[in-house]
Amino acid sequence: MSTIRIPEADAAGWRCRSCDEPLEPAPVSLEYLGSSFNVELPACPRCGMVLIPEALALGKMAEVERLLEDK
Amino acid sequence: MRSESEPLPATQSVCPVCLRPLPATIEEQGQDAYLVKYCPDHGKFRSVIWRGNPGQELSRWSRPKIPSRPRVPATPVERGCPLDCGLCPDHRQHTCTALLEITWRCNLGCPVCFASAGGPARPDLTLPEVESMLRGVMRMSGPCNIQFSGGEPSLHHDLAALVALAKDMGFPFVQLNTNGLRAAREADFAPQIAQAGLDSVFLQFDSHREQPYRTLRGQPLLQEKLLAVERFVTAGIGVVLVPTVVPGVNDQDLGGLLRLAARLSPGVRGIHFQPVSYFGRFPAPPEDQARITLPEIMRGLEEQTRGLVHAQDFLPPACEHARCSFHANYLVNQDQSLTLLSEQRACCSGKVEPILAREGADQSKAFVSRQWRAPSGCDCQAEQRHKTFPANKDAATLLPMAPTHDAEPVREPAAAVPPASANGMAWTPPENASTEALPLDDLDRFLARASTHRLAVSAMAFQDAWTLDLDRLRGCCIHVATPEGRLIPFCAYNLTAADGRPLYRETHGIPSLA
Repeated sequence: MSTIRIPEADAAGWRCRSCDEPLEPAPVSLEYLGSSFNVELPACPRCGMVLIPEALALGKMAEVERLLEDK
Repeated sequence: MRSESEPLPATQSVCPVCLRPLPATIEEQGQDAYLVKYCPDHGKFRSVIWRGNPGQELSRWSRPKIPSRPRVPATPVERGCPLDCGLCPDHRQHTCTALLEITWRCNLGCPVCFASAGGPARPDLTLPEVESMLRGVMRMSGPCNIQFSGGEPSLHHDLAALVALAKDMGFPFVQLNTNGLRAAREADFAPQIAQAGLDSVFLQFDSHREQPYRTLRGQPLLQEKLLAVERFVTAGIGVVLVPTVVPGVNDQDLGGLLRLAARLSPGVRGIHFQPVSYFGRFPAPPEDQARITLPEIMRGLEEQTRGLVHAQDFLPPACEHARCSFHANYLVNQDQSLTLLSEQRACCSGKVEPILAREGADQSKAFVSRQWRAPSGCDCQAEQRHKTFPANKDAATLLPMAPTHDAEPVREPAAAVPPASANGMAWTPPENASTEALPLDDLDRFLARASTHRLAVSAMAFQDAWTLDLDRLRGCCIHVATPEGRLIPFCAYNLTAADGRPLYRETHGIPSLA
């Protein structure tokens, strides 16, 4: 599965509050109810904390959750 | 650890001979379970209800619900369940689907039929009668899903008007329970009822082979069934294939049917198996070998598809009683493989938190309405043209693995809107922020495919006089609306004593017992 890239604007300008390091794009595996997607997301190079940009959370990720709604 | 033959909590049932309510127990033996009851006049009855899978024994298959009582009960509690159906104030679940038998006429004479076909025909319901019944359903159950049934409801002369009426009254999802023959024989039938607003058909579809139709329906029907699928899909109506599963007839066709459903996705929205149940006249109790239980269907789907799906994929329902059904949803990939989409809850650990029954009903109504209609944004008609239906062959050979037309819509990525703050992160605006469009990525492709090519796989076990469990009946969400303004749980409505006398439905010229 290929890697998803998010718009540059989402990654730029963020710093890790704990480490004070600028976030850098890093490969992350997102898992949704058994399906996994490889995504490149802003992450702290020191502690590994990952930022899920709001646009991704409210956009595609929310759409995936809606599609997985069940009875 | 449970010991063998340890009974599950007691329940109630009826005597299959006199339909008198009786105490009953459920005995587990290994992975299997039996409903056992004793009538002082007619003796002991013991019927298999569950032949479990490892980890899916009956005692572990649960989805507990906090009962939701009818908003407007139509009948008082007088004689006790199941003799007061209407719904009575003791019922525990709301209506998910209200079923209206608009005609008792039929163009088939199936040996397997719980509807009234073959008996003295009640006159077709008139438009004003249906309107009155729908108003009653709306008053008692709100905007639930509606299924027009029969008999064979496509024979009703005013069907299009009835569909339009239901939609105009605010019922969001209207489905036709049909054998498909009229759609196959009259090219303008499917477009007409689609125009009237029909969302979905529940299509009797017993096999991808011809022989089971000869056995169950008395004639070869496969070609007409396939033509009906094509016409409904082309008309923009979602199709659910509904096999009645009978041991020794089509219980080896589960895998072939599932593969066929996947191949006909996205026009075919789901496949819904119904294990045979025994209504009508039976001089002796049906033998356990004549029954197939839900776990056997789960297992059969896994074995007969060589692992395309797995028995453990399937979950108990949020709406009806756990022992009444199973379901799972899949993404149909371009190569016809299936990817499980359903959430894997801790369904079988016995640790599931109870949900409010009404919330389960709302969830189920919304899911059915979304999944069983034709998908929006899908060119199902174009895709259907790639699937040909040559005559005189079984569907296993006549539907080649033609690559499906995959028109993936180009989506613009969502605009990037960083949050004002985020836990553990601090953000300052970048100097040259840009939101330039990106090519489609994996998530986009998944979303495009999953929004159309989802297949719901499910089964529902109806109860007859031997297997009736009143705990299950009280949790029923499929209610038959009667002209008298009552809503009767489906299995109570269709229940007959061993000599054919009905509990509620006045068919076969025999007055009802309730």
